[in-house]
Amino acid sequence: MTFLLESGYAFWNPLIWIIVFIVLAVIVYFFRRRGQKGYKKDTDQTRIFLCGEEVPEAGERHIRVGNIYWGFFETLKEYYEQILKPHTGIINDYILWFVAITAVSVIVLLAAGLG
Amino acid sequence: MTHAPILIIAIPLLVAFLTPLVGMASQKGRNVLVVVSLVFVAFLVFALAREVASNGIQVYTLGATSPDLSVPTGFMVPVRIILEVDGISVFFSIIWSIVSLAAAIYSISHIASETGQTRFFTLLLLMVTGGFGLMFTGDLFNLFVFLEIASISGAALIAYRTKFADTQEGGFKYIVVSAIASLMVLFAIGLLYSQYNSLNIAYLAQAIQYTTLDKIALALFLIAFTMKTGMVPLHLWFPDAYSVAPASITGMLVITSHACMYAAFRICFTLYGGVINAPVVGWILIIFGLLTMFVGVTMAVYQKDVMRFMSYHAISQLGYMWIGVGVGLAVLGNPGLIATYGRDAMSGGVFHILNHAMYKPLLFFTGGALFHYTGTRDLTQMGGLAHKMKWTTILYIIGTLSISGIPPLNGFSSKILIYESVYQFHPILTITGIIVSILTLASFTKAFHSAFMGAELPEYKGGKEVPRSMLIGMLILAAGIVFVTLFPSLVVDWAIHPAADSLIDQGAYINAIMGATP
Amino acid sequence: MMEHVPLDFPFIAAALLMGVSLYIIIFKKNLIKLIMGVAMLAAGVNLFLVALGYRAGGGAPIYTGVIKETMVMPVPQALTLTSIVINVAVLALMLTLVIRIYRHTGSLDSEKSRKLKG
Repeated sequence: MTFLLESGYAFWNPLIWIIVFIVLAVIVYFFRRRGQKGYKKDTDQTRIFLCGEEVPEAGERHIRVGNIYWGFFETLKEYYEQILKPHTGIINDYILWFVAITAVSVIVLLAAGLG
Repeated sequence: MTHAPILIIAIPLLVAFLTPLVGMASQKGRNVLVVVSLVFVAFLVFALAREVASNGIQVYTLGATSPDLSVPTGFMVPVRIILEVDGISVFFSIIWSIVSLAAAIYSISHIASETGQTRFFTLLLLMVTGGFGLMFTGDLFNLFVFLEIASISGAALIAYRTKFADTQEGGFKYIVVSAIASLMVLFAIGLLYSQYNSLNIAYLAQAIQYTTLDKIALALFLIAFTMKTGMVPLHLWFPDAYSVAPASITGMLVITSHACMYAAFRICFTLYGGVINAPVVGWILIIFGLLTMFVGVTMAVYQKDVMRFMSYHAISQLGYMWIGVGVGLAVLGNPGLIATYGRDAMSGGVFHILNHAMYKPLLFFTGGALFHYTGTRDLTQMGGLAHKMKWTTILYIIGTLSISGIPPLNGFSSKILIYESVYQFHPILTITGIIVSILTLASFTKAFHSAFMGAELPEYKGGKEVPRSMLIGMLILAAGIVFVTLFPSLVVDWAIHPAADSLIDQGAYINAIMGATP
Repeated sequence: MMEHVPLDFPFIAAALLMGVSLYIIIFKKNLIKLIMGVAMLAAGVNLFLVALGYRAGGGAPIYTGVIKETMVMPVPQALTLTSIVINVAVLALMLTLVIRIYRHTGSLDSEKSRKLKG
């Protein structure tokens, strides 16, 4: 059984998942087929309905990346202030980090040998 | 087949310098030459993998009367240049051959509007040579040389589009960081040579004492290689270099990062395997791995540049591999724990490298396709691209589901191996892993929405789907994802377990070379 | 085989050279100075390697008038030569990129010429 992966405690089989997804796709397709077909093209029937208001142009109604997850960034504002500080983009700082981390790991390895 | 190891290194090197000659005659001939040579090399790699699976470690001695004569008659130590191919090196070289083939095919139309295309392919093939050499070499100095070959050609390729200012800056940062990391590696090699008078990894592994100088050398090796892989907090150069390179080169840089990871594993497990203070080094890797995962993904959510966003995800995914392998290293001295969960953790980490090397270049390639279509990397200017780029959208979805570990795809199969095994080491590792996985899905959904979803924007009405060679490059990697998805246990049995075992079994590596010593 | 290399002046010089060059790389914002720092770091590592090659009483590994038994193993010299060649390539590439950065941004300062951040 080459499809099966045993991880020690559990197993999982991609075939089962694929069958589940195919069944779901069939159900979705079934509902989609039951939709109304007798509508008139090129009339207001095919336009977007927004509570009867005028729908903005495509470029204006698209939610751009800067507005997504606004609340997430607002909550974690302090974390991001801190985490953006080391990301200076200056090459000298990159090397400073390298030298500092190397020094720390040398000390850790030497200290571990003593104890 | 005995000559396969040297042919795999030599063919890309020769073709690299043949390319300008053929390129003078015809562009098409040059493209065919590059692709055919890489296909042939991939075939050789698979043949070599079969050889390693059936006959064990392959040793190739350059300049000897017979390739397996590693220690010359009358000598106690190996003096020649030796290539040594075991499970983990052949595993990495399979990844390297597939992704470099996909990158070469993708490049053909991705750089079609640029000048100096022939030189691009020459450098690309040199980079391929460097990677294969790094994985096959049996001595430390060639490790350094091939690392430098890959870094120099990589930096030149990052800066390939000279008309932009940011590409030059990214290339400069990459070469400075690589040069300093490589010089530190060379210094560490000198430290080892000063004590043991040899450069051969197998000989050194047998002779090493773990003196103070050895510990300093270990720290230099470890931090230099982890800097090249992009571990937090040494990751700062990583998004700068990755985001500005042509997308095919970003794919190559992902696997260069894996090649440096291979070098770090080789140093920790094979060179120092017998004497290393395993729990301390293991914990260093685990702590850095946790930082890498978390900082990488939180920085990724924040990004607005599509390539930068993906490169922070590449950093974050590296954390999973360090955690998996770090747990394996932390329990290295304890055969009982290795059997209970250490081997599984390492298999999970190594398996994640394979999966990451499939979906991450695929995602970078779709990012390159977006750049090709819109002419910008800025996600705020994109929208509604699914209307025109149907194939790219589907491939992006495959990559996204895979990187976030959504069950039917391959990203999940390696993550579950890691989660279950590292949980027994310390539960916090699994919890962080799951949180990072959720944030990964969240940020990819955000990028998917802002780039592909929504109504068709007026400024992108006239475009066409990306050219065929870019699609073929992406489809090769997507086929790899589907294969690993459908046959996880086949891959684990044939590639992952031999690779993890060859890391644990240091003695076999030494015996393959030193066994002949009287 | 296992004898420790005696602490000698070449090693102190190499350590000093590497320390000074790391100081330059970290604290000098001018990109040309940074490249000089990398060149000095390479020189320091090379000096270290060459100093390793010295063996008391050994002869130079050149096949003219040297007794075969006292000839030293020329590995450190080979390493140094290779490393010098590689570093020439690295430095040439760095200088090329700095010239391009200067043309694009009009600055050689690592902070002022930076476009990628965060």
